[in-house]
Amino acid sequence: MTIKINGTDVAAQGTVLDVVLASGVDIPHLCKDDNLAAIGACRTCLVEADGRIVASCSLPAEGVKQVETHTDRAVMLRRGVLELTAAMQAPAGEGAFGGPFAQTASGVYEVAEVRAGAFDVLTGATEDGSSEFFSFHEDQCILCGRCVSACQDLQHISAIGMAGGGRSTRVTPDGDVTFRDSVCTSCGSCVAACPTLALRPKAGGPA
Amino acid sequence: MTAPEQSFPLRTHLLDRLHAVQADHGYLDSARVSAIAVELRIPVAEAWSAATSYPEFAFEPEDGTPKPCNGLSCTLRGAGPDAAATSCTFQCYRAPAVGHEAAFPEDVLRVAGPVMASIESGMPALAKVGRMSADEALSVLDASGLRGRGGAYFPTARKWRGAMEQGRPIALVINAEEGEPGVFKDRALLGLRPERFVEGLAIAQRILSPAVTIVFINGEARPARESLERALAMHEAALTQPVRVVSGGGGYVLGEESTLLNALEGRKPVPRLRPPLPIESGYFGMPTVINNVETIANLAVVFAHGAAAFRALGTEDAPGTKILSVSGNVERAGVYEVAFGSTLREVAASAGADDSVAALFGGPSGGFLPAAEFDMAIAPGPGHETGAFTGAGAVVFISSKDDIRDAALSIAQYNADEACGKCTPCREGSPRMVEALRTGKLDEIELLMDVVGEASLCGLGQAAPRPVRSALHFWPELFR
Repeated sequence: MTIKINGTDVAAQGTVLDVVLASGVDIPHLCKDDNLAAIGACRTCLVEADGRIVASCSLPAEGVKQVETHTDRAVMLRRGVLELTAAMQAPAGEGAFGGPFAQTASGVYEVAEVRAGAFDVLTGATEDGSSEFFSFHEDQCILCGRCVSACQDLQHISAIGMAGGGRSTRVTPDGDVTFRDSVCTSCGSCVAACPTLALRPKAGGPA
Repeated sequence: MTAPEQSFPLRTHLLDRLHAVQADHGYLDSARVSAIAVELRIPVAEAWSAATSYPEFAFEPEDGTPKPCNGLSCTLRGAGPDAAATSCTFQCYRAPAVGHEAAFPEDVLRVAGPVMASIESGMPALAKVGRMSADEALSVLDASGLRGRGGAYFPTARKWRGAMEQGRPIALVINAEEGEPGVFKDRALLGLRPERFVEGLAIAQRILSPAVTIVFINGEARPARESLERALAMHEAALTQPVRVVSGGGGYVLGEESTLLNALEGRKPVPRLRPPLPIESGYFGMPTVINNVETIANLAVVFAHGAAAFRALGTEDAPGTKILSVSGNVERAGVYEVAFGSTLREVAASAGADDSVAALFGGPSGGFLPAAEFDMAIAPGPGHETGAFTGAGAVVFISSKDDIRDAALSIAQYNADEACGKCTPCREGSPRMVEALRTGKLDEIELLMDVVGEASLCGLGQAAPRPVRSALHFWPELFR
């Protein structure tokens, strides 16, 4: 069974996002980690599938006939979501990190099309440097949920949750304690999964 | 008959335990939630994520003073600004409301049809289903054309067949969350005609043979829950299996069916991805039929006199009746059971809302409509292209002395406040939509309406622009 990606036949395996990426077309997918099940939270992998706007990460390719990744509508909507995401991050400071999507922003994510400062920046301010191995910087967090999923579904530790709702939602270890006081084992999976370096390794590790 | 506690997985007791500890101590905190998590073997982070998502749980001591409601119907009826006010408490029939719900008043049932009619005796529909095979009963249901009354109007027989075709044990979950501002008809049904609901539930059990039956009810709807539990106890013999009743913890998104499933499983109340559909994989992965209270009560009507009789009311496409919740600036707020195909104008006349200039039709997921458009019918489907639709049947009438701009801002703010936080467009976009509406940034509103409406994960985000889009369409001058 095949699926047409921008007019080219590609084998329909996995999700629509899997097929799109396999076909060599790059689209953003901030909350989809290669090693984790789809979360569907960031909504940046939107494409037009059989004329409908869908999040490609969570739609099985089977049964879809035709996918267009760069229609005006799909590009406009992805850009809008990326601009809202960018407004969750404090601008780059003096350090090596910061700014829209930090590490993942490099080129392929259509950042050129994202208007700088499209929306007023609103970020959280929590910093947690309590772990010897890594630190958490909420002002770079885009609430994609990859750290929660890595901790719970990959490592089966479940030290990280998302407390609260709406714009008050925040990444929180255990019942609102620091990483050091939580059941975190400093395995590093959340750091590896974080697409923005909101969770980042401490240089050199513990002294 | 209600189900014994020990017959359910430990983690499904999370909501019950949170309610119990809050009732004992007045509020929750990290230590108390952690203790519950350990007891139920849920990771602390997950229990904390869930507990802090429900607006009904307090995390600091409260003084217990009854809180005034600042929902749209209450502000239209004179509720002023109040720092202690809470969002809609679903008592729009007695606006402006203060404090918790009381038993649903009989006199607020303004127009009764077959579903809300008083109950003569026994369970005639159930007796008839008892003499049919499941296949025969499904054929009757199919022929009746019954559609789900929660707002999506999916054909009930098709949903049931879809679950049965999975060939695995089925979970039957009743959505009695009714957490939509302006809607109180399930409370009316459970409070005034609980036997009809129980009869419908017994019919559903006969046909679906579920492995588990759960009613998920709004946490604030305590009188409705008590009324339901009395009826379940009284008609124990009619049921093929015990019914578990679970109270939610509030939040508009909880009525979204996959969110409700997460809540039942002791998880954070946020929507799941679809596919899979609940009929394929719902409650703990079981094929799950989720039906609204009113849908279930309709089964007792369908099977009492057969499909043809059921079709005598309503339209070809939508047979039967819809129970509307009518509030706002009307003489007679309350519950109106009307045939599909009736118009808003007829509803306005019957409720004493003749001088209305507009209505919010379909709640925060619907839209505003000027009186000139009141020929719109009560019907399934997307409704008016700008947003107004029948949905769960909320009609809030707005009079000439009301401020439509304020009403639109208040509903937009409600949708922003109720964003669950899972997906970026709704969480980040809907608060900015309110701000752009307030400050008249029309280009920004257009972009945000598109992004929130098309990119959001669940129906709530997807519908959030509708009140804004409709208000801007009909009253553009108010927002410049």
